[in-house]
Order: sequence, then structure tokens, then C-alpha cells
Amino acid sequence: MDSSPLLPAHRQPEPSAHGFIDRRGFLKQNVRLLLWTFAISAGVRLPRVNAAGDTPDIAVAKGDRVAATRAAVDLLGGMARFVATGQKVIIKPNMSFAGGPEDATDTHPDVVRELVAMCKEAGAARVRVLDHTLRREERCIEGVQKACEVFGDDVVQAISRSRFFKSAPIPDGRQMRETEVMREVLEADVLIAAPVAKSHSSSGVSMSMKGMMGLIYNRGIMHSRYDLHESIVDLASLLTPALVVVDGSRVLSSNGPGGPGRVLKADTIIASTDMVAADAQAVAMFEWYGRKLQPRNVKHIRIAHERGLGRMDVENLRVKQVQA
Amino acid sequence: MNLQRTVQVFCLAIFLLLSTAAAFRYTGWLPHDLFLRLDPAAALLTGIAARVWLVGFLAAGAVLALTVVLGRFFCGYLCPLGTVIDGVDACVAKPGARTGNIPARWRAAKYGVLIFTMAAALAGLSLAFLVAPIPLVTRFFALLVLPLIQQLADLLLRLAAPLADRFDLTSLLYLQLPLPRFYLQWLTLFLMLLILAAGRWRSRFWCRCLCPAGALMALCARRPVLRRRVTDDCIDCGRCTRHCPTGAIGEDPRTTSHGECITCQACRRVCPTQAVVFARPRPLNGAGPRSSFSQYRRGLLLAGVSGLGTAAVTLSGARHLLGDTGTRRVIPPDLIRPPGARPEDDFLRRCYRCGACLEACPTNTLQPYGLSAGLPGLLTPVITPQLGPCEPTCTTCGQACPTQAIRSLPPAERLWAKVGTAHILRHKCLAWELDRKCLVCDEVCPYDAIVLKQEPGLKVAVPFVMEKRCSGCGYCEHHCPVEAVPAIVVEPMDALRLSSGSFRRQGRAIGMDLQLRSKKPPPGEVASPYPLHEGTDGQGLPPGFSE
Repeated sequence: MDSSPLLPAHRQPEPSAHGFIDRRGFLKQNVRLLLWTFAISAGVRLPRVNAAGDTPDIAVAKGDRVAATRAAVDLLGGMARFVATGQKVIIKPNMSFAGGPEDATDTHPDVVRELVAMCKEAGAARVRVLDHTLRREERCIEGVQKACEVFGDDVVQAISRSRFFKSAPIPDGRQMRETEVMREVLEADVLIAAPVAKSHSSSGVSMSMKGMMGLIYNRGIMHSRYDLHESIVDLASLLTPALVVVDGSRVLSSNGPGGPGRVLKADTIIASTDMVAADAQAVAMFEWYGRKLQPRNVKHIRIAHERGLGRMDVENLRVKQVQA
Repeated sequence: MNLQRTVQVFCLAIFLLLSTAAAFRYTGWLPHDLFLRLDPAAALLTGIAARVWLVGFLAAGAVLALTVVLGRFFCGYLCPLGTVIDGVDACVAKPGARTGNIPARWRAAKYGVLIFTMAAALAGLSLAFLVAPIPLVTRFFALLVLPLIQQLADLLLRLAAPLADRFDLTSLLYLQLPLPRFYLQWLTLFLMLLILAAGRWRSRFWCRCLCPAGALMALCARRPVLRRRVTDDCIDCGRCTRHCPTGAIGEDPRTTSHGECITCQACRRVCPTQAVVFARPRPLNGAGPRSSFSQYRRGLLLAGVSGLGTAAVTLSGARHLLGDTGTRRVIPPDLIRPPGARPEDDFLRRCYRCGACLEACPTNTLQPYGLSAGLPGLLTPVITPQLGPCEPTCTTCGQACPTQAIRSLPPAERLWAKVGTAHILRHKCLAWELDRKCLVCDEVCPYDAIVLKQEPGLKVAVPFVMEKRCSGCGYCEHHCPVEAVPAIVVEPMDALRLSSGSFRRQGRAIGMDLQLRSKKPPPGEVASPYPLHEGTDGQGLPPGFSE
């Protein structure tokens, strides 16, 4: 009996006892075929790009920030690999500071806008861009809010009230075993981290892992009660994004997180499904305080690697670079 | 509803709207402090105490001038406190509260209050905040009623959240109403309850017996141009006497104490024969018992002396060394005045304690102060960094201040209005004491006034405050993760307090260097005139990195 080319092996119909297809088998097969046809035509079952062996672990796109954002995600298989029709998506950029894009303290609004657009194209039912800002909310999110106006005026939200947060256990936490996370994040289907690449005076760098501190209520405790790096990893074990897009269009290479510091015009977007690898790649790629440093020089990246949360040995990973 | 009630409700509504708008920092063509400007007592007491004439006092002067023509129309129509009192009176009055008499000597007490506070003001102590009606009612609404309403609205939003989420009303779901909270709310309430509770015994008790603005206007309304007159149609039924809310009509309904009359015209409305008119007087008609205080001369003199004495005693205490600039200074460490606040003495003489600045403050850092600076400091605004930082570019409090006790500064000046200086309490600091990475203070400082340095014996770089760059905004104290007393605190040391002139020039002159960190050179350059953190982090690595 011919096997259906569309069905994976374990779903192939059993050959019947007499070598012929019986009526029940025939009907079953047809119904299955019909359902699969629907599913495929709806674009939900199969990835648009063949995600076989040649998908890189880390995608690096150079060039215009908007085009590079799309190119980097496309290298990983396109947004449809991460976002399916009808899903709720949270994008977490860094919007903690009120400066302009030239300060490199926050994710570039254009990068966030492109990500929202890609999620919408992939059929997301709801996309929200959230952060618990450090400075005055309306000022911090102004830029991204303006950029995302095309999707409605309520996509970008700065959240600080306790009522929007919900306590969540951190099963894999070593020091921090519980924290209050934005309710909406806990209920979302897909979490996408979109940090800017910047230095940070106490955590070395602040990228996707450190950025997750913008989704919880009490981050002061991560400085005071816990070891900052250990608790960053604890938090990352709870809030693990499906996709990380590091905005290296500008890199705040010194004096982060608030600047003013040395800003590198790197025109680079890094994407990965592994938050440790994405952060590590950015550490390895750019200069920090005028010198080259290794991912292991950032303690929370090192700990995350050791705890198996992701990989910092970028030299052993498949890195693919394109010019957008 | 008759004309008087309509106007009253309308004015109260305007008052509430303006006050609410001020809390949301809305600026329209109507000044948010419209009613504060109309209060003659607040203007007079502040003018005397601060020895100053403000353009804003013109409106209060106009009210007095109009009172000469119309009588105490302000009390009967415009005063929001009067309207609130009328409303409360209607609910709490005992039988007879309206018809009962108040002895004349009690009614004269308001002149006593006026003279007492004027004498105190003359001696340099402004008590306008305790007795002037509009600052009282403004504060009550701004610091107690509106915050309560906002809390209630937030509760409703919370309850509506599941619905908002269900129907994708994101803006509603994430609507974060400002929820200001204020200290001393019980004192605010108590001062108002004292005023309102008296209505149980006699209607408009405050207005008749205590209000210094009422007293001022009564003086202007002894013989107003348009006043109550009774025609020959009067049948002596006495209804008007019984209905007068202020007891301004004598036993003989033809007689009127014009100084007590708030021209509400209740008498005209209840008169069965339409014998009451408010018009020019006819000769030899309508002469009645005057709202007189000449027989209380002795008492009033005593009030004046008491006022002087109260001011003298108050200002003689050690607390009043606050305004001193010599070596004998007593400055409570938490007395951090808003940016642009005048020198302390001038500031205290001007401040209405109306709460306008506190209400308008977007970060809720401004709070009414208690008694640590003595009676003169009671309810005055202070910055409370643990509740919120003072935004370096925000000029709201100065704009809100009706007497410019806090000067309204242009943004460039505002940046230099230093309110204090931050200090690190090394024994509490995570970096200094526990050798742990934290340095949130450096992260949040808008002025880039924190530098990190490597100290012998410590692995992590530790923070230092560069006083010359510190404006005392309190971002560091607010965000410091150390609990109870944070490890970095702002104290009013070196605050710039100027009555006139440029903060920027003065600041430069004394060697300050206040600028926001976002002002920076093109990318690739080192931005600040100060070196980058020369962090070596123990192992020759930049700050935050490790081997």
C-alpha cells in the first residue's frame, strides 16, 4: 500500500489483514487526509520554511535595523515558527529609559514595530509590548508607542501597579523561588524578548536574561536579598522566551544601563531561540569598554550555561550571518 | 431649584472640576486656583505676613469691592466651603439649628479671628492655612476627597478587568489611574469636621462666627449699595426671620444686619406678600441693628494682643532657627522643600498649605509636613523620596502654587533648583557593607551624580556621590533596594533657596554642575566631562564583568 507522503510514519494507516484496504480504513484515511489538507491550507501545521538541519542556532543580520530584524528572524524559520494563528504574544523590549534612540539605552522603536508586524502577519490574535519601566512610564514608552501606533494605540503598555502582577513559583529557582510576574505574561502563548545590547554596571550586560526583570513587580529584591546574577538565571528559568531578538543596531558599550556612554553603531540584529546563546553572541561580537570580552565574563550567562538553560559556547553553535 | 442654589452648585462644580483638573495637570484658560485667588482672608493674611503684594490678590480685592455693592454675595453664592456647609447643614442640623439665635458676642468672634490672625501675620506668622476658607476646602478636597475617589475608581477598574480583557479593551484594562496618597489625612479631615460639625447646632456656624473672610466681607457690607429692604406690604408674619440661614433678620422682620446677610434671598422667596426686595435703600427705611463689634472693642484688642503673642511665642522657639543662615541652624533632615521654594522664612509666610502643589505633583513625592519644623511648618509641602522621586524636568509644583511660595521656573532654571544632596549610608549599602553588586543608585540617577570607584579590600566597585552634580531629586533614595532607611538618602543640605534671580547663575557661582545625563555628544565619543567608570572590578575587567 502506498504511504501517504503527507503523513508522518506513526500516522500511516495500518495495512489491513488481507492486504486490501477495508471500508473502515478507507473512510478513516480519507477523513484524515481531509483534515490534514485543511490544516495545511490553514498554514498551522507545517512551518513555512523547512526547519530541517540548516536552521542556525544563532542568526546574525547586518544592515538597516528594520530589514535586519526581519532577516534575522527569517533565518530562524520566520515568525510563523514561533507564532501560530490565534495566539497571544508578549514582546518585551527594553523601554526603561526616557532617552532617544541615539542614547542606546532602549530597544529601537523601529525594531519593536517590525516584530509586532511580523507577529501580526503570522496571525497572532493579540500582540502586546510590555515593560515595567524605571523612569516615568509615559516618557519611557513614548518612542515605541509612537512607532507602534499603526497597530492601534493600546499595543504598548508600561505597567507598574501591583494589581497587574501575579505571584508565580519558580520551580527551577536556586535562590529566588517565587516572584510576581505580569499576569498577562503568565497567560500568554508566546514570549519574545527584544532587548537592546548594552552594558550594565552591575550585571555586566543587560540583554534578554537581565531584561526579564522588566516583567516582574519586585526587582529590587534581586539586588538586595539575592545574588543578582543567580536570581537573573532563576528568573530566566521561569520566563524563557521562545524567540530572542537582540537589537544591536546601536550598542551602549560603556556606562550602561543608563548612559551616557560609548555608543557603537553596530547595525546588527541577533536572533536565537536560546536566550543564553543570543546574549552570549552579543557579548562576543561587540566591544565592551573598548575591549573584547568573552561570554563567560558575564556571570549570569556563565551560570545559565552551567545550569543548562542555554549555551554560551557560541563557537560551537551554528551561527549564520546575512546582510539585510 | 432657585437661583442661589443653582449658582452655588455651579460654582462648587467648577471648583471641583478645576481641582480635579489640577490633579491631572490640565491647564486651561480658567486658572486652577481661581477660588484661592478670590479668598480675601488668605490674600490679606499672606500679604501682611510676607509683606508682599501679588497680582493674584487683585481678584480678592475685587471681591471685597463688589461686596460693598452687593453685600456678602461671595458667602451666599461663590464660596465652595459655604456650599458644602449648606449641604451638610441640611443633613445634620438639629431641630432649631436654623431658627435658633447665636449670641451677638459669638458672632463677633469672627472679627476676633481676623484680628488675631492679622496680628500674628504682622509679627511674621501666617495662619491663613488654619482659618482662611478656600485654602481649607481646597486642601480637604485635594488631599482627602479626590484621592478617595481615585481609589474607588481604581477598585471599579479592578472589578471590570476581566470584562475588559474578554472584550480586548486594552486601554481600559491597563488604565492606571494616579493613586496619590498623603500623610496627615486625619488632620485634614479633623480640621474640616470641626467646621462642619458646628452645623448641627446652628446653620452656617462657621460663616457666622469664625470665618475671617466672612468677617472681612461683613466689614465691607455694613451698608451695601444693594441690600435687603422690606416694603409696606409686610404683615409681620416672621417667616423671613425663621428662614434666614445666618440670623441676619431681627425680631422685627424689617430690620437686617447687612454684615451678617449673605444675600441668599431666602427671605424674599418665603415672603407671602413679596414684601422683601434687594435694592437701593429708601431714606429712613431699613435701618436695623448693625453687625457691630464696637461693643467688643476690649475683646478684639485682646485678640490682637493674643495674635502678636502667639506669633512671638511660636517664632521664639528653636524650631524657627530654620530660616537662619548662620551657624545656629536647625534643619530636620526630612525637610526637603520642593524645587524653587523660596528661602524658608519667606516660603512659610507665603504658603497657603492649600495642597495645590501636593495634588499636582505627578510622582506623589510632595507630602504635607508634620510638626518637626514647628507649627509654622505644619502641612507645608516636602519632598518624600521614598514615596517618589522629584522629576528633574518637572515644573508642576511651581505652576500650581497660588502665592509663588514655590517659584514657577522655566525648565532650564528648574534643573538647577537643587533641593538637597544625597548621602550614602555606607553601613547599609550593599556594595560598601556587603561587597555585593547592586549600584541601582548609579543606574537611576538622572544627573549622573554617582560614580563607581574601586576601593581596596572590596571586590565590587562602590558608589560615591559627586555633590556638585547632585540635585537631591531622590531617584537614588527611591530606588535603593535597602529597606527601612535606604542606603542612600537625600537631605536638605546645600539646597538652593532663592527669592529672586537665577538658580542657574547662583548654582554655577557656587560651583555646581547640574545637567541631565541625556545631554551628550555624538555617538562614539565619551559623553560626560567626567571619566567613564574606571572600573576594574578586582580582576581588571569593566564594571559588572567577572572572570
